[in-house]
Amino acid sequence: MKRFIGSIIMLLSAAVIPFTGTAQEAVPVTEIPVLTTSAGQSADVNTLNVILDQAKVKYDYCDVPTTEMISNGVGLSGAKSGKGFHVKVKTDLEKFPSGTPYKTIIFAIGASLKGMGASGLTVEDEINRISSIIEHCKSNGIFIVAVHAGGESKRGAAGSHNERMIDAVAPFADYIIVVNDSNKDGRFTKIANNKNIPLSEVKYALNIVGIVKKMFKE
Amino acid sequence: MNAKITKILITVIVLAVLSGTAVQFYGHRHYQLPIIAGPGVTKVAMLSEYCESLEGTAADTHIFFLQGKEKGGKTLLIANTHSNEPAAILTALIFLENATLDKGTLIIIPQFNNSGSRNTKPGDGYPLYFDISTAWGSKKFRMGNRNASPLDQWPDPDVYVHYPDKQLLSFLDVRNTNRTWPGRPDGPLMERVTYAAMQIMREEKVDIAIDIHGAETMFPVTNCIVAPQKSIEIATIASMYVNAMEGFENHVEPSPGGFRGLSHREIGDHSDTMPFLLEAPIPFLDQPTGPKTVDLLLNGKDDFLLRLSEQKKLFVPYDETGWPMEKRVGQHCSVILEIMNQFSLANPDKEIQITNVPKYAEVLENGVGYYYRDPAKVDKNRIYKN
Repeated sequence: MKRFIGSIIMLLSAAVIPFTGTAQEAVPVTEIPVLTTSAGQSADVNTLNVILDQAKVKYDYCDVPTTEMISNGVGLSGAKSGKGFHVKVKTDLEKFPSGTPYKTIIFAIGASLKGMGASGLTVEDEINRISSIIEHCKSNGIFIVAVHAGGESKRGAAGSHNERMIDAVAPFADYIIVVNDSNKDGRFTKIANNKNIPLSEVKYALNIVGIVKKMFKE
Repeated sequence: MNAKITKILITVIVLAVLSGTAVQFYGHRHYQLPIIAGPGVTKVAMLSEYCESLEGTAADTHIFFLQGKEKGGKTLLIANTHSNEPAAILTALIFLENATLDKGTLIIIPQFNNSGSRNTKPGDGYPLYFDISTAWGSKKFRMGNRNASPLDQWPDPDVYVHYPDKQLLSFLDVRNTNRTWPGRPDGPLMERVTYAAMQIMREEKVDIAIDIHGAETMFPVTNCIVAPQKSIEIATIASMYVNAMEGFENHVEPSPGGFRGLSHREIGDHSDTMPFLLEAPIPFLDQPTGPKTVDLLLNGKDDFLLRLSEQKKLFVPYDETGWPMEKRVGQHCSVILEIMNQFSLANPDKEIQITNVPKYAEVLENGVGYYYRDPAKVDKNRIYKN
């Protein structure tokens, strides 16, 4: 019973914490199956996965998927985790059997040289990899969501690794979600306005749980 | 004649200075901190009970068990792995003197590197002691060093070859209990310390191990939870909750797989326990600061760091308020509680229910010393000298 109450409190907390965003547009609705991945190999992809877990949205995850794996759909071609390569298949395989095409891909933006190094990638490799995935998504009608939840620690001077990851994903996204601290200089607002992309800005990463629930509502 | 007198005078002065410092170092090495077992403590043991070869050495130290009324998950709290990061022991003592458990077990080692806590860093001008104000007076602590004392483990090798991975580490790391994991029963003394802790985790079937630390504001791995893959989900959600519910940032750093000897790497690789390492900023350890005073240690205020912050050279927010001890200890308390809470939610059959431990806002408001009991007013049998 205490556990049940605890869970309710947690979910209510996530809902009640104020969004206090500066740019609250209507949340676009998209569909599952969904794949989560990283743009820059920072630990922020774990935050993204936890957000989906909290929102009770089932997903597949791979930190460095290839376009071939994505085109093979749910189950990621049966790939297994290994050194510098992580895979999770949490999609409900009864509803969406292996091979079902993904409808949505969510990028957690944030650069980590340590993370890229662990996956055997240079910054250039990572940007090229992301660009090919985005091209694949665009030509296959996969909805692209860009999430920047790392705040100031995942921002940097113009041309820095973090900013290059933002450039590689955000302008091509169909929806951008950021926390306040990620957008203190209005960079994401500018991209959203220039490219006419809906943008949601929230105070805490935990607030993204509510947005994800709305995004995937059936 | 004059030359002879001069020589005698110099000798006397040198001996006087040496005697003075020797007395101070001796006093520091032998000062015993009174640790009060609070109402939740159900058993007290020694580390040597988990590795016999520690018995009678300066590395042996107390372990406190707080067993709940009902069975549940088990947490091991390790403090003073680095004895020059004192927010760790201050946090551990808040748990030790106040916590009670309804479900599960909490095991606390407040002075993990006991030898290190009796060592100092004279070259850096470390103070030998610091005091925490309480309602009944002040509680005096030894200010230790990062590594064990060479009086207890000597000589150092040219290069420390980590066991069992054979990775080459700095010679100093052979005395660093955050490089000697997972240890071995017949290795150098600090390897025996970490081996004993591994034995606690294996024999007691510990679910979570939390190693409390502090890190420089100029070091990127600060103000964070370091976790390997097996712990990272719980670390991430704990980080998100303290950020949103308690208003402080404490991000997650993944434990690098190729850097051996660290608790957050080896505990997970060599046992079923999920490790977490907590880092709170400690300006005292930054290099470009003013004198290493007790005030800097406790308040974390420094003009040089303030200027560096203005140039965006620090990895944490920093202003005129510094990083006071209350903030660091409060963060540790809240993060530890949230990790246990999230573990319990994910593992309902291993729930841990803990009460009477303050969170961040309470520690900020009341101060750290508010939570320490007066040794003069407690049963002498509940006081352990460490």
